[in-house]
Amino acid sequence: MNPESSSTPTQRLISRATLVSQGAEAAIYKGELHPPPIYPVPSGNRDHDSEPVLIKYRFHKQYRHPTLDASLTKSRVAGEARAIGRCLRAGVNVPGIRMVDLQEGVLAIEWINGKSVRFLLGGGAEGEEEVDEVHGDVVESEETDEAEEDPLKGYNITQDDIMQLIGTEIAKMHEADIIHGDLTTSNMMLRPPSAPDKSSELVLIDFGLAYTSTLVEDKAVDLYVLERAFASTHPASEPLFASVLKAYERQAGKDWKAISRRLDDVRLRGRKRSMVG
Amino acid sequence: MESFHYSQFSQEYSNVHIALFTNVTNATELRNRLVQASTMSGPEGDAERQAVDFAFIDATLICSTLHLKSAILNSVLAQAQGALRTKTVHSEILWNLNPTNNISEAIRRYGVSSSTTSLLVVRIGRPGDPATVQMQMSAVVSGDLSPTSRLAGITDWARVKKYYKILQQIDADPQKDIQRVHEIVVSSVSMKSVIV
Ligand SMILES: Nc1ncnc2c1ncn2[C@@H]1O[C@H](COP(=O)(O)OP(=O)(O)OP(=O)(O)O)[C@@H](O)[C@H]1O
Ligand SMILES: [Mg+2]
Repeated sequence: MNPESSSTPTQRLISRATLVSQGAEAAIYKGELHPPPIYPVPSGNRDHDSEPVLIKYRFHKQYRHPTLDASLTKSRVAGEARAIGRCLRAGVNVPGIRMVDLQEGVLAIEWINGKSVRFLLGGGAEGEEEVDEVHGDVVESEETDEAEEDPLKGYNITQDDIMQLIGTEIAKMHEADIIHGDLTTSNMMLRPPSAPDKSSELVLIDFGLAYTSTLVEDKAVDLYVLERAFASTHPASEPLFASVLKAYERQAGKDWKAISRRLDDVRLRGRKRSMVG
Repeated sequence: MESFHYSQFSQEYSNVHIALFTNVTNATELRNRLVQASTMSGPEGDAERQAVDFAFIDATLICSTLHLKSAILNSVLAQAQGALRTKTVHSEILWNLNPTNNISEAIRRYGVSSSTTSLLVVRIGRPGDPATVQMQMSAVVSGDLSPTSRLAGITDWARVKKYYKILQQIDADPQKDIQRVHEIVVSSVSMKSVIV
């Protein structure tokens, strides 16, 4: 396919963007939506709304029936956009929406300048995992990385502060009855301070599996998924996750008790399941 | 006035011109002219419609150029996909700016009214001489052509919040609260195809 001659505006937009990652469901690009002015001729550093965007392209799946594929894609793009919209209204830090093209399966969102929490905790960047596992040497490679440079440099924040931001943000999201559905440390980013007197912000990303629910069970499972993700990607994760829950409790207030009790149930079920095999 | 070339779109509607007029003195006449142009027949009618072939937008309801450009992008995309919900790509901008599905409400709220004094004028069309477009704009609007950066001081946040049903304060810090409201509005416009 020659992308420039391909038929649609959104395809052309994508063909000029940079591929960031390629998943089974979607390809992720970094691109621009709005060009700089051609008149008057830009004088240099003026703000022209050409901040980068992340383009999430849910491409056509050959293995699905075309009609089913098109409607599934539409509902996923719409679902992700709606969840982000709801989060924005609830004051949860999420990337803003910049374009939706249901026909093409494209969602463009604000580009977050920052790193994933997974990376910042020394868990490696997304995709580095496989490489480390091949060498069977995860811990050691992390230690050398940390010795080279502190990943939190420039963020003006401690690991424990990050945990608290995570707990607070998730509690705000749950308060608005939004369930993320895929809470991992890869699906949260830390945006460095925009000015010396500002602080870092935790931003939740990837609402591809999000849905709304008022059920305590769904909120508890959301937290449990994150707890498992912490345990599998970060050594000595218990004190870290405890700090997440502390902040969640503070934000959730009276809702905490029921969620906490249910989280204990979910953990128990999880353990039983893994004993059975 | 500022002009932009959106190269992902075909030539017919790849160029976007945006001008801000302040101290507008002919809003009432302009409004009447628009109403008349839409019903006039014959070559006279065509000429008149061409003279006012712009989107006229009440600037006090626009939070930023990104806000306006988001509505423009949606509109040109709908045009390219043969999916316009209104008569023209210009009226589509008004539809995209309004959070509901009601086109006459969109025009009433976001279009020119007799009380309008700050006006954003948009032309979407073929590549052409920006100076000519600017002259055509100035021929129909009596007011001061101002840099779009002046929008920041014009926005009526209370009305923006009312239309978008943002009833509570989202952030205790007033400056951050405005940022949040801006983000909700820009995002809502960008996801318009999903919410109505
Ligand atoms: N708004 C953003 N700004 C900058 N980078 C982002 C943004 N959103 C996502 N990313 C980066 O792109 C990666 C993939 O994004 P996302 O998780 O939304 O897509 P995905 O298709 O669900 O991928 P995966 O299956 O790997 O979770 C993220 O892990 C993150 O590193
Ligand atoms: Mg992800």
